[in-house]
Amino acid sequence: MMRAALAEPLLVERFPIRGGDYEHGGDAAAAIKSIMRQLGISPDVMRRLSIANFEAEMNLVMYADEGWIELQVFPDALRVVVSDRGPGIPDIGLAMQEGWSTATPEMRARGFGAGLGLPNMKRNSDEFDIASTVGVGTTVRYGVHLP
Amino acid sequence: MIAKGHLIDAAACVGCVACARNCPTKAIRVRDGLARIKYELCIDCGGCVRSCDHGAARAATTPPSHLERFAYTVAVPSVTLYAQFGRDVAPTRVLHALTQLGFDGVYDISWMCEMLAAATDAYVNEARGPWPKISVTCPAVVRLVQVRYPGLIPNLLPIETARELSARLLRRRLQAELGLEPGAIGIFFITPCTAIMDSILSPVGLEQSYLDGALSIAELYGPLLRALETTPEPDTYLDEVSPRGLLWAMAGGEIAGMRNTNTLTVKGPDVQHVFDRIEAGTFQSVDFIEAYICPDGCVSGGLTIEGRYAAQRNLQHIVKSLPASPAIGEERVRQLLREDFFATEEEITARPVQPLGRDLREAVARQKKLQSLIGQLPGKNCAACGAPDCATLAEDVVRDEAALGDCVFLKIERLEDDLRAQEARVS
Repeated sequence: MMRAALAEPLLVERFPIRGGDYEHGGDAAAAIKSIMRQLGISPDVMRRLSIANFEAEMNLVMYADEGWIELQVFPDALRVVVSDRGPGIPDIGLAMQEGWSTATPEMRARGFGAGLGLPNMKRNSDEFDIASTVGVGTTVRYGVHLP
Repeated sequence: MIAKGHLIDAAACVGCVACARNCPTKAIRVRDGLARIKYELCIDCGGCVRSCDHGAARAATTPPSHLERFAYTVAVPSVTLYAQFGRDVAPTRVLHALTQLGFDGVYDISWMCEMLAAATDAYVNEARGPWPKISVTCPAVVRLVQVRYPGLIPNLLPIETARELSARLLRRRLQAELGLEPGAIGIFFITPCTAIMDSILSPVGLEQSYLDGALSIAELYGPLLRALETTPEPDTYLDEVSPRGLLWAMAGGEIAGMRNTNTLTVKGPDVQHVFDRIEAGTFQSVDFIEAYICPDGCVSGGLTIEGRYAAQRNLQHIVKSLPASPAIGEERVRQLLREDFFATEEEITARPVQPLGRDLREAVARQKKLQSLIGQLPGKNCAACGAPDCATLAEDVVRDEAALGDCVFLKIERLEDDLRAQEARVS
């Protein structure tokens, strides 16, 4: 009842993802990009959300058993929910640390190889939230506001 | 209508769907037995020309009679031309044979290619992101970025192509040397593909092309072969060509001449796959990407004659048999780069696909309708309706450009239903 005030999304599209399915890794992010293109979303918003989506999708493929990525289109924002059944993240604070990674300084300078890529996802979003339970799974929510 | 370097000849088109199915941006529809190009989606790759067995989708290069309008004509061949005549015909001999076809002059661009490799090195060294930088040599790749990957426009290398820079330089030189008006000098590219013809007619990053037109390698091949018979092995009457520049005819040739090794080459259908990844933020650790729409670079252009495998063998041999070119002055190239000698003259703008609706709400409503239509279609992607696949037909229906009833399978289903209903009435 308290939540009734929240606006309903105009469009919801969910894409299932299998852990370990490297062959199709990135397909969901590409499908979401194609929807954004048809909706006339600006290149900048498309670029930022695509970066976050791709990181999220590859995390799921690399670490989780299975899950999904869901695009929610609101009048004022595009929001994405990524949820998985998997190992979970024991220390979210550490995973969210910029540069928590084994990547070389040069790679890091270009925003590459930053561990789980969570800081990169956050950097490219206007909203970001993560919840994880070890042994159960992880849910990441992020969004980009429409200009 | 805008002039195009490729078109569909209505009289020759039989209404098959070969071109529509082979178009990488799904820009062709066959309606009422005739293929039509939706030019707003077209990237000028020439895939339709290549796939047409009826000569209907064809190149529209400059008519030879057009050359008569100029007091002085120069042929500027793509370096791909040198790979067309076996491994033992030296590039200088090909250039000399060209002069016998009636051109007043010829101009080799391999040196400019080599200089551009050095300019690219220098630019990448000093540039800021976004990474990777993407080559603009293939005009179809540039169009692809404009249409499908507008987010990658800032990644495009802001350096003009070797053909345009050469034509600009040449025109100035000839004006000074011959005392001719700029308009009296006709500079014609000898092209391996339709995309370059398109880039001359409607240039990107340039207000007007410095080239006056293009003739295809294919149409000059026969006359050149005959001219070569009477062309002696040349002395040094023409400058030697640059071996490093010759490599630009093949995918990988552009980066082969660079010092920077943090580069890669992508070609053919892989280009879209890699661009999807770049747009998603991967490949940021790469400095420079050389990309070609054709499967092996320019040697596989649709307007060439020698097969792409043989052409690459020819080139490898020719490159190794040429004397090593003297090192070009890298400091001089850096200076020219600072003086904007190589710079793209105009900003490259996006040509994004028309959204499904005028605003977000309408677009979302149509997106939902699109999904439901895709569910109603058989998913066989037979293209008999004239759209390349079921999803594209669904999109055309949503855009009011086609009807769901255009689907042959749905049509048969409806006819069978009618028949059953009739039989039921009769019995």
